[in-house]
Amino acid sequence: MTTCNCIVQAGQISGETQAALRTRLDKFAQAKFGSPAEIGWVEIAPGSGYTASKPSTSSIVSLAANKPVEQSERIAMLEELCDIWSRETGCSLDEIVGVINDPA
Amino acid sequence: MPLYMTNAAQGAITDAAKQKIAADITRIHCDVTEAPPAFVHAFFVEDAPHMPLDGKSAFLLGSIRSGRNAEQKAQITDEMRQAIHQHAALPLDDIQVVIRDTPASWVMEGGDIMPEPGEEDQWIAAHEAKKAAENG
Repeated sequence: MTTCNCIVQAGQISGETQAALRTRLDKFAQAKFGSPAEIGWVEIAPGSGYTASKPSTSSIVSLAANKPVEQSERIAMLEELCDIWSRETGCSLDEIVGVINDPA
Repeated sequence: MPLYMTNAAQGAITDAAKQKIAADITRIHCDVTEAPPAFVHAFFVEDAPHMPLDGKSAFLLGSIRSGRNAEQKAQITDEMRQAIHQHAALPLDDIQVVIRDTPASWVMEGGDIMPEPGEEDQWIAAHEAKKAAENG
């Protein structure tokens, strides 16, 4: 399994969009790492998320790679990952933090 | 990035306190590292199973870009503990703060790979120029 942790602001992403994201993230994990995504989904309650000290609209999507990733490959993956998130949610790229971690 | 995620026992930190703590987290991180405030995310959850409290009332996990030295991390840890103590009225020994490094090159924000520490001004200038070009 490819661990994929998503942190979003409550009320920002509908149940329908979340389902579409889960499908897309699972396909992404299968294509890039050869294993399905094990998705952790955390919603930040209203009044509990801040960016630059102001109420946040940011989402964080963080994947744990099962092998070390070359940087050129990582950049391409992150661009694809952020693009998936932006297209499905309508968020701007400035509202998306993507992370692809190498194994510890 | 950085992402400062605080897990607390239910009701231990009020929404009013969260706002003040988030402002302090942002100020402390920027004072210590000279990073821009726009990079700083401060999120709060309650009784989150993925962030065990281990008997504490509050656990703050800060994921920051690699490259900060031990003195900077100690200052961040001490001052953020104090901020939670002050605004949430929790005993200091009931608050745990852990800082974890993440290579900047592993993180994309605003469609660009994050800058290494000290390269933020050039990154912001390039990022803004790219956005302006994209917007015509």
